[in-house]
Amino acid sequence: MKLTRFETRWAEAEMGVIFPGSSDEGLADIGKLGVGAFLQEVMGAVPFKAALGLRLAIWLVALAPLFLLGRLATITGLRLPDRETVVNRLVASRSYAVRSLVLILKTMGALLYAGDVSVRARMNLPPPRRPSLVPLRVKRVHAA
Amino acid sequence: MSHDHDHHHHHPEHDGPFPDEALPEGSVVDGETLAHDVDEAFDYVVVGSGAAGAVAAHTLAKAGWSVAMVEEGPWVHTREFGERVYEAFRRMYRDAGTQVIEGRSYVPLIQGRCVGGSTVMNSAIAHRTPEDVLAEWDERFGLGAAINARALEPHFDALERELNVHAVNDDVLGENNRLFLDEASAEGLPARKMHRYERNCRGSGRCVTGCPSGAKQGMNVSYVPWALALGARIFCACRVERVVVEAGRATGVLAHASGPPDGSRKHKSTVKLHARRGVLVAASTVQTPNVLRRSGLRARAIGRHFQCHPGYGLGGIFDSPVEMGFGATQGAECIALRRTERIKLETIAMPPELAAVRIPGIGHELMRRFGTFSNLAVWAVVVRAEAEGTVGSAWGGGDKVKLTFTRADVERARKGTAMLARMMFEAGAREVWPGIYGLPSVITSIDQVRLIEEVPTDPRLWSFITTHLFGAARMGVDPKTSVVGPDFQAHEARGLYVVDSSVFPTNLGVNPQHSIMGMSRLAATRIADAARGSSTAGATAAA
Repeated sequence: MKLTRFETRWAEAEMGVIFPGSSDEGLADIGKLGVGAFLQEVMGAVPFKAALGLRLAIWLVALAPLFLLGRLATITGLRLPDRETVVNRLVASRSYAVRSLVLILKTMGALLYAGDVSVRARMNLPPPRRPSLVPLRVKRVHAA
Repeated sequence: MSHDHDHHHHHPEHDGPFPDEALPEGSVVDGETLAHDVDEAFDYVVVGSGAAGAVAAHTLAKAGWSVAMVEEGPWVHTREFGERVYEAFRRMYRDAGTQVIEGRSYVPLIQGRCVGGSTVMNSAIAHRTPEDVLAEWDERFGLGAAINARALEPHFDALERELNVHAVNDDVLGENNRLFLDEASAEGLPARKMHRYERNCRGSGRCVTGCPSGAKQGMNVSYVPWALALGARIFCACRVERVVVEAGRATGVLAHASGPPDGSRKHKSTVKLHARRGVLVAASTVQTPNVLRRSGLRARAIGRHFQCHPGYGLGGIFDSPVEMGFGATQGAECIALRRTERIKLETIAMPPELAAVRIPGIGHELMRRFGTFSNLAVWAVVVRAEAEGTVGSAWGGGDKVKLTFTRADVERARKGTAMLARMMFEAGAREVWPGIYGLPSVITSIDQVRLIEEVPTDPRLWSFITTHLFGAARMGVDPKTSVVGPDFQAHEARGLYVVDSSVFPTNLGVNPQHSIMGMSRLAATRIADAARGSSTAGATAAA
């Protein structure tokens, strides 16, 4: 199962809300870490059902402005503060399914983002000392 | 059965050689590169190379029998272990770490899928099977004559000696564990340093992604290579389709090689391994029931009575550095409440990628909190859950695990979580992160712990995780309610043994690896003894 270009763009925007980076804190912008390529990698590695869950999560957040804000726009059509409002409301949703789907995005984003050298440095951890076990195909796949 | 394995032991002051290197010529058949079909015969074929399979294979090989192990996952060697969690998930974890228990809530179910199984990424914690659990197995399932403390004792003794079980050394205890021990002591709560399988742990805190120094005595650096040194062989990256059962007797195993990880070769080599004397299934609680079903067994109890230990982690921020990146991943515990409250309290250090999921908030709040990671401690409650579930087949051929925790299970988790929160504040935490839906994401005073005590018992409010799995091919004397007898042999097929924790009639309340290995060693020893007896009898008759 592969993500389409517009799904990848949605995912990048969504991850950017959860992990926006911070120049003050010296934290990288997740958009520069190859979100699209990473998620394509994940979609190829996990079973169908898990891949479907990730895709659902991306769609849910992408289309949430329609039913949360009543705006005829996807997540990429909003300004950053509005994106944050949308994701915060989904995280706090009374629906277990909704908040679990958003948690999938946070989990996947954390697997990518918290391994970055800038984030590790902020956590007072040294850069990874060992070579990658499974080299990610990030460099060989062009993010949409 | 004392054996000196010193010649195998790696001295971790050096970067290798590790025990998973320089293996005997021809002892490893790698299904990722295998380009032809295989058809070979052994005395015994063991399905799985985790805690149960590796120990059984080693025991049989040492008794002089020819043994083949078949492992679904790849052999990832010590030198290949990196720090990135996703990479480890993808290569060494079942379903790339996305496996879940389905029920009223979804609970991540973590299992290894590589040579060594879950022992490659667990925290190597050793606990003998509690005697009250063995008494329960006797009382409810009639196992006492065969499975009891006296029968298991020599096996636990040998395992502890061979895997160098001892309490965590002070120099690698780490602050997360020390804080827990100090606070438990201050409260009069009996706690102790964990006893683990390790040689010269360096405190890298990287158990989850594979021990980079070969110190953790996972099966990948102990019983698997030791069995190979005794003449056993391993077929890794080969998925067992079924055990071949002919005329009511197990005669071998049919498997298929995985081919390269990138899927570049469509043809999957067939691996046929004939078993002259028997097949031992040790594929784990989740996979064993489906292997048995695919092999034609129809016992009603297959896939039923699945149990687990849900765990719940609690983060706390202290004024002084904790630095979870150094120290034993799990090094301190309290088991005093196991019988009375069915809970165990313990520590667990998390790598940054996993900790980041539990750090409260999103956006700039989350970014800011990354800066507090150095001061983060994580302690956890583990529940001996009473809930029972099922293991079945999912659409598409995978495994499907269903279970919903009972109200009492969640009440116990809640009680343990509140205890830990209180302990954290007493130990000096300035804030605690409950992570429970409906509560503030951060609480800042001991008075607020009552919020945890009052939270509803709906499991969907909690983010449990589980790694300890039991049942689903239960042992018992009655074929109507169990899958194997007290001799570990399937009621339906002679020569087909199940030796992993799927035979456990109940869960334990303590970490299961030691019980799994002890039971497997007991089973394999009895199987080898019986085979030697029949072999001698056969020779005598022939003479």
